[in-house]
Amino acid sequence: MAIGFATKDRGGRRRNLLELVVMAVTAALFVLFAIGIEGFATPGNLGVVLSNSASLVILSCGMAVVIVSRGLELALIAEMVAGATTFSILINAGVGGPEALLLAVGAMALVGCANAWLIAYVEIPAMLATLASAMFVTGLVRYAVLGGEFLLLLPKSNPAVVLLSGDILPGVPAPVALMVAALVATGFLLRYSAAGRTIYAMGDNFQAARLGGLPVRTTTIVVYVFAALMALFAGLVTAAASGTVDFRTVTNGSLLFEVILVVVLGGIPLRGGRGGVRNIIVGVALIAVLRNGMTLMNVTTQMQDVIKGFVLIIAIVLDNYLNPRDTETDTAGDL
Amino acid sequence: MTSEPIIGLEKATKTYGGIAALSAADFTLYPGEIHALVGENGAGKSTLCKLIAGVVAPSEGRLRIDGEVVGLATPKDATRRGISMVYQETSLVPQLTVAQNMVLGRERPFNSVRKVRNAARQVLQRLNFKVDPSQLAGSLSTAKRQMVEIARAVLNEARVIILDEPTAALTPEETDHLFDLMKTLQRNGVAMIFISHALEEALTHADRISVLRNGRLMVTGPAVDFDRERLIHHMIGEELLETERPAAARPRTAAALPVLQVENVRMGAMVNNMSFSVFPGEITGIAGLIGSGRSEVAKVILGHTKRNFGGGRIWLDGREVRYNLPAQAVRDGIAYVSEDRKLDGFFETMSARENIGLGWLAKFGRGRILAPLRRMRRLAGQWEDRLSIRSIGADQSVLYLSGGNQQKVVIAKSLVQEPRLVIFDEPTRGVDVGAIAEIRQIVRDFAAGGAGVILISSYLPEILDLSDRVLVAKSGTIVADFPREEATAAKILHAAIH
Repeated sequence: MAIGFATKDRGGRRRNLLELVVMAVTAALFVLFAIGIEGFATPGNLGVVLSNSASLVILSCGMAVVIVSRGLELALIAEMVAGATTFSILINAGVGGPEALLLAVGAMALVGCANAWLIAYVEIPAMLATLASAMFVTGLVRYAVLGGEFLLLLPKSNPAVVLLSGDILPGVPAPVALMVAALVATGFLLRYSAAGRTIYAMGDNFQAARLGGLPVRTTTIVVYVFAALMALFAGLVTAAASGTVDFRTVTNGSLLFEVILVVVLGGIPLRGGRGGVRNIIVGVALIAVLRNGMTLMNVTTQMQDVIKGFVLIIAIVLDNYLNPRDTETDTAGDL
Repeated sequence: MTSEPIIGLEKATKTYGGIAALSAADFTLYPGEIHALVGENGAGKSTLCKLIAGVVAPSEGRLRIDGEVVGLATPKDATRRGISMVYQETSLVPQLTVAQNMVLGRERPFNSVRKVRNAARQVLQRLNFKVDPSQLAGSLSTAKRQMVEIARAVLNEARVIILDEPTAALTPEETDHLFDLMKTLQRNGVAMIFISHALEEALTHADRISVLRNGRLMVTGPAVDFDRERLIHHMIGEELLETERPAAARPRTAAALPVLQVENVRMGAMVNNMSFSVFPGEITGIAGLIGSGRSEVAKVILGHTKRNFGGGRIWLDGREVRYNLPAQAVRDGIAYVSEDRKLDGFFETMSARENIGLGWLAKFGRGRILAPLRRMRRLAGQWEDRLSIRSIGADQSVLYLSGGNQQKVVIAKSLVQEPRLVIFDEPTRGVDVGAIAEIRQIVRDFAAGGAGVILISSYLPEILDLSDRVLVAKSGTIVADFPREEATAAKILHAAIH
């Protein structure tokens, strides 16, 4: 009989306790920072928190969809930078904004397809396929486009850049609008689309999905193309805000881990099949509040990483404590 | 049995999520006793064993060991008190040797390979059980692995050994050997509990038998006081005695063309020149031992696994097919009901309805962007009613359903696709008696609707009850083909073994 213990509410679905705990911790931190740090709870600062989280949210949307399908996307940051580079090069060369965007979307869709082909058709584990594709894409773009440089400057005056970094509506910056759009798109994909149903099924039990005749290959393509496009939009937001495309975001790796951190903290288990948009918001909220508070307190980046790593460990330990595993509920790849 | 009981459960209750898997059970076990537990699936046998083995703690009631009330926190506590459990799915580590497995969990910081091996060998020899202790556990057959687990229990100086369906995967000779072994242990004063679905085993080999039904311990008594009828009576109560065998085979329309033709299919070491045909409206039973290549050929037909290069041909309705992915087969109208529903049958995070809805989506969702959620839910609801699937709440995960209801969900998930051909792989495994009858009726009704049915089953009465034609598979080949009138258990067994 496959019945566990405290992980489930009575006779119903599994309730995600980690999500609740993370929400509570976020709320507590928020109150703590609001009292302890001057200038934290001001509308101006909170607006900054929101804008600064935009690219993280968009990236997390891509990663969350992949992880729900029981995959892993290690090429996300490489795609983000490669997409932004493609777009920037094109507008630098005088191509109009919409055309450049379309071409960049096409290029990233191609990268997503290549990933999905390796995973679904060649049947290489997602982790290896995307790791290889991350190296390939980064190397190719730097070699072919940048000639070995790691920094690409964007003209601040270009209308596309102005549009992406400015307000799209009065009081609504473009990054925030894109962030909301990404969340809505993710919610739609997971909840209402036919592909979304298959994504949950694949994450829940891949063999059952395959044997039951669900289109696991086409859905894998949808998943990785979606992730690549999210990466592109996150790249555009970051590039427009900073005026540069910086390849060191790929090589120092911490952004990729931050994205995985957000997804896992929000309560989307790496074994897949569970979680949704709400979990992304919960995860980002904690990281964003923590990051902003620490920056205001002048904590160094290195110390911030220490604290974030610590938070992740606590979350995993807590999750293990709240959802005890036994031989019956244990699944390979479970976090 | 003059001595004090070694194990005593007093009014033990175990509830999972508000549902009692075992309620107020009083159970005793004496030293040197072989005690059989019988009952349908879900009757509470495994729960009772797990309480004794310290895997789960009772919600109410007490556990006494040697008369002393104890609270076992973990299986390790139980082992320390001399209680060992031998699981149905064996819990050996395949990458370790037999000897290493036997001392698993009791290693010292440094272990001498030779000492460990000698200790293991001593025990194995004492049990008259021929296995090389330096062999890898993964290379052993199921029967031998089970024996190694028993040997491990002996090495741990177990006074109580609990065996969960030890004979389910054994051949008759292996079963005899196992019971010889149990008798040997019994003479050394070891008490044993074994769960069995084969009532004859309980009647022949046990000293006492306890019957469970719906989480209640109905009766306990010396085995000599029982017979088959009485056990069944206690197991299923008054109302549900097995339906009788239906009339002879439906006559095949003379001109009927096969739904499926399989010719010389080969796949790796498991499927070796398999050829057969399936006719519409007929149930084609495939009997055979475990590992005779039946499930494997089903998965080749479905496109889940690839046949060898040039490994035979398959026709569906006279059209040659070769699928790369089950999705293509499903669209053409082939459905497969898995033999292991938990492993690759259902989606555990989802409700019964969502599961059935996904079956529909797999067949009819092609080219759709939106999932027609309301329609899927309605259709799933209809199938729930049609197969009388009982779930407690509409949103409840399939994981909480009984085995029978889970199986019906998996079947509904395939039937909602309106397939031309369904392959039922062990459709009643791990299903309670009442649901067995219902599921067999579902299979019959479905075939009567004019579709082709392949029934893979290792349970002969089921093959005989349902099949219009019986094929026998052996080492990846079909070795016999009996029409219903000629199929008898003896003939089938003979073909499957020799």
